[in-house]
Amino acid sequence: MSASTGLAVRSLRNIRRLPSAFLPALLMPVFQVVSFSGTYAGITAIPGFPTDRSVNWYLPMAVTMGASFAGLGTGFSMIRDLQTGFYDRIRMAPASRRDILLGPYLAAWTRAVIAVVLVTVVGFALGARPEGNPAAVLSLFVAGIGVATIGTGWGLGLAYRFKDMRAAAIMQLTLFLGLFLTDAQTPIDIMTGWLQTVATWNPLTRVLHVARLGFVEGGSIGDLVLGLIVMIVLGSLAWLFAFTGLRRLDD
Amino acid sequence: MSTATAQQLVALSKRSVQSILRQPSVVVPSMVFPLFFVALGTSSFGRAISIPGFPVVDSFLDFALAGSVVQGVLFGSITSATALATDIETGFFDRLLLTPSPRVGILVGRLAGAMVYGFAQTVFFVVVLLPFGLSIKSGVLGLIAMMVGGLLTALAVGAVMSAMALRTGSSEAVQGSFPLLFVLLFFSSAFFPRQTMDGIYRRIADLNPVSYLVEGFRSLTIGDLSTVAVAQTIAIPAAIAVGGLGISMRSLRRRVAAS
Repeated sequence: MSASTGLAVRSLRNIRRLPSAFLPALLMPVFQVVSFSGTYAGITAIPGFPTDRSVNWYLPMAVTMGASFAGLGTGFSMIRDLQTGFYDRIRMAPASRRDILLGPYLAAWTRAVIAVVLVTVVGFALGARPEGNPAAVLSLFVAGIGVATIGTGWGLGLAYRFKDMRAAAIMQLTLFLGLFLTDAQTPIDIMTGWLQTVATWNPLTRVLHVARLGFVEGGSIGDLVLGLIVMIVLGSLAWLFAFTGLRRLDD
Repeated sequence: MSTATAQQLVALSKRSVQSILRQPSVVVPSMVFPLFFVALGTSSFGRAISIPGFPVVDSFLDFALAGSVVQGVLFGSITSATALATDIETGFFDRLLLTPSPRVGILVGRLAGAMVYGFAQTVFFVVVLLPFGLSIKSGVLGLIAMMVGGLLTALAVGAVMSAMALRTGSSEAVQGSFPLLFVLLFFSSAFFPRQTMDGIYRRIADLNPVSYLVEGFRSLTIGDLSTVAVAQTIAIPAAIAVGGLGISMRSLRRRVAAS
């Protein structure tokens, strides 16, 4: 366990040492919540839109985006460590593979919490308010941690397999597409055409539904349960993807 | 202008165009991402065309074309400025200064590449989106005006970015300006009409020149051909281009003097 904590602390220290690697991932979701809420303010006038505040719709999207980037950030760091040879030395240490993998996860969760807090504060400053239960804010953190877990496993798995910056491009593109091909911009009922089908079947839509619980009308316990199942399943698969990738490095 | 000078300018322009074509990793994002956003927007905001304040359009696709053209051209124009900065970094710029070719050719060559690319992008977006139901209400003449507008927008942005390339001599600094363009684009009416925004967003979009640039293209797509629409599509980028060329020429003179 001390190995994972040490790796996590090292990763977090790198935020201070190399802020240029962390700040864009932090500022991007802030920009998203600010720009989307203002640019698309008019969409709340569409009949059936589940909130009269556009920021209530876009805050959860920006939170999940920021948390996913926090997860991917550990993948970027891993590429750097693999290229500099630092990771080879770590693998020679008498620590279990599980602990070595857990370190980046701990760092990613911490980074995700920073992103969720910052984006939420900005969202509230822009007028986001839970509709009913104030505890709805917790749903943002649950979804944020969930998507950071998925993003971390995906990012690490790709980093272990490619070992160079090609992995970074694939990480960003796949997660970007994955999150935008959901109901990130408008509710599924309001969509028209191909995206409606894609968003309905995209499991990340369910994660967004968890993040939106309490911020828009119509959320239910069923949405929470389904979203949690999706996060657990995708998070486990992503962990497995990362773990098998780490094993491959040993071969 | 002598024949030799013209030949040198053509050669540098050809080099610029070829260098863009030889880098698919640079070309593809500025072609594909705007189309992706159009596809996403058309499906997401298809029903938004009936909300109060939204311009009268047949479909969101018609509305979105202008935003995608300007988005693609803005991002594509960074490519030529980055290439100019790379020329400085790699020493090619200094080698050109040793030749008897006109100094202005270094800038003109790169801007010609940007203009050709901007023109091609406008044509590409229209051709790709036509089978999906895009209609250009102003007809062929409007389309020609849009192509000229795309070319001039590329010149305008390319000139401003080239000034930055010449001042800094750093491709990283030019690429670093990408977020600024992103912000300008998002806080404009590129993706949604100004009439549906309110408060500070509306005021920023009202002050943002990108709003008027996009709306010129848009008025040719969703409205009939008119002098005002053509003038807006061509005059705004032309005015920015004049200013941008002035700045970039001054930067070029400084760089040449320093070299």
